[in-house]
Amino acid sequence: MTPRERIKATIHFRKPDILPWYEEITPETLIRWIKEGLPIEKLTLVELLIYFDGLLLLNDPTVKGFDPYSYFGFDNLWGCAIPIDMGPIPRFKRRVISENDRYTELLTDTGTVARRLKKAAYLWYNMPMWVGFPVKDRESWEDYKKRLNPNDPRRYPKDWDKDVYLEFYENYQGSNTIFAVTGFYGFGAQLMGIPTFNLMFYKDPELIHDMAEHWEFFTKETIREAIETLKDRIDMIFWWEDMAYKHGPCISPKLYREFFLPHYTRVTDFLKKNKIDRVMMDSDGNINPLLDLIIEAGITGLWPLEVNSSMDAVAIRKKYGEKLFLAGNLDKGELAKGGEAMRKEVDSKVPILKETSGYLPGMDHIVPAEFTLKKFKEYSEYIKKHLPY
Amino acid sequence: MSIEIDILKSIATAMGKLKDSGRIKELVGKAVSQGIPAVKIVESGLRRGLDLVGQKYEAGEYFLSELLFAGLMMNDALEILKPYLKLEKTEKKGTIVLGTVRGDIHDIGKNVFKMLAQAAGFDVHDLEVDVEPDAFVNKLKETSAEILGMSALLTTTRGEMKIVMDKLNETGMRDNVRVLLGGNAVTKRFAEEIGADAAALDAVEGVKICREWMGK
Repeated sequence: MTPRERIKATIHFRKPDILPWYEEITPETLIRWIKEGLPIEKLTLVELLIYFDGLLLLNDPTVKGFDPYSYFGFDNLWGCAIPIDMGPIPRFKRRVISENDRYTELLTDTGTVARRLKKAAYLWYNMPMWVGFPVKDRESWEDYKKRLNPNDPRRYPKDWDKDVYLEFYENYQGSNTIFAVTGFYGFGAQLMGIPTFNLMFYKDPELIHDMAEHWEFFTKETIREAIETLKDRIDMIFWWEDMAYKHGPCISPKLYREFFLPHYTRVTDFLKKNKIDRVMMDSDGNINPLLDLIIEAGITGLWPLEVNSSMDAVAIRKKYGEKLFLAGNLDKGELAKGGEAMRKEVDSKVPILKETSGYLPGMDHIVPAEFTLKKFKEYSEYIKKHLPY
Repeated sequence: MSIEIDILKSIATAMGKLKDSGRIKELVGKAVSQGIPAVKIVESGLRRGLDLVGQKYEAGEYFLSELLFAGLMMNDALEILKPYLKLEKTEKKGTIVLGTVRGDIHDIGKNVFKMLAQAAGFDVHDLEVDVEPDAFVNKLKETSAEILGMSALLTTTRGEMKIVMDKLNETGMRDNVRVLLGGNAVTKRFAEEIGADAAALDAVEGVKICREWMGK
């Protein structure tokens, strides 16, 4: 089977020849590993690339960077991504707003103000502190909405041509293809900040209804042409949400049902009409209380299933069966210890979930920068023994 | 007396059920006009309501939005009561020095804890984010706080908590302060490992622990 066939089989609960293993590694983790002896020459990747911004020439070989996938033998869910611009247009002009010895404050191109530490052990890993947001109330929302016009021609690449793209995918699509969408919680939290967005469900519910309405319209209309054109090539929707923390979801099931469910159902119905029925939600934290509603909304997969947030893939599989394919859930803390702790963690989940398929084993989030190369190699060798059927 | 009990009960119920902020303000105004002492309105009305919110949160009925809205209602009500509270003797539940550790600039959970702790009657000195170990120690000396609350989102920064613990031991302050840890990177096991008194899974549990420590 090809890597794409393996992933497609797995997320549709058919058994592949080898179970795909899914990890994501931060550039800072890779840099650490290079310092620890990871051979650079074996990782340099030159690729014919279709990627986010639509600016690359379709047949231009590009030095992509490092390719840990083939080196360690795990699968890349992001092999191809559809290059549609889902951000605000026009973008805000990035600039440094202020800085001192310790911090830099930047206006990002989505209009938020990010404070970054100048000296942090891991700059990428250490997320910025968001100190300003473009949407604060009804007036600023109306203003921002103008940047979210789905019909702006700049949303599609300059070279967008249905036939050319179809032909390209026909000839070159070797791996899984993802279309990335931002869910309404992720959308609202990015625009208003988590505390304000959460508060507004009570303080100004009409504003939230209007934002949700526009999110649905914007999402469906922006992606429509790409989805209808490439529906046979898209294997999965990656639905970024991040709507929970350790204790539970940021949003109650009651609010989810009222503000999210109707819009989500209409978007996933549109996808299903185009034969795209695999939608993987990316949310950190404990989303257990929302799982029934998430399924009702048309979400069919979950990642990363963080163990320290009480997410348990075996229990979810037992309860929900084939309603949800699962990815991740191997406790990165236990894996990083190596030895018996690592083996116990892998053994406690992978063989059980492999039996039913519908599971992409991997860490319960991006491989953290504290993970040593030696321990990752040990984990890599061990998990690979579990993958073949 | 029965009118007083009824009004205070209505305040607690309205808060617990998250009736709109206008309704709370109306009830608090009514309580003031009936001559109910402001301290009593806070203790037997608003805080009792907040306890109901906490119980519903623990029961999985309320989530972050509900906590934030309850905090907003509490603040609105306290605005009305502020002039009266200045004239009455108010008892603080305790003093907390709070902050996110050095190298970490995340504050959402910390701020929710701060809001709930203040609403519960604690005096909170928030050093905000990226706090130097010495700054925690100095603030504890300055305020004679009974509790130190430290937060860390990242596993790469939680080691800072151990540095602060060491400083508390070196300066002989450890026996006078209870240390509570919070944030995504923190586990109860980690708290034990570095010799902290407790780790809270979330803001509600954090306030509950502080109240137990202060015996209130």
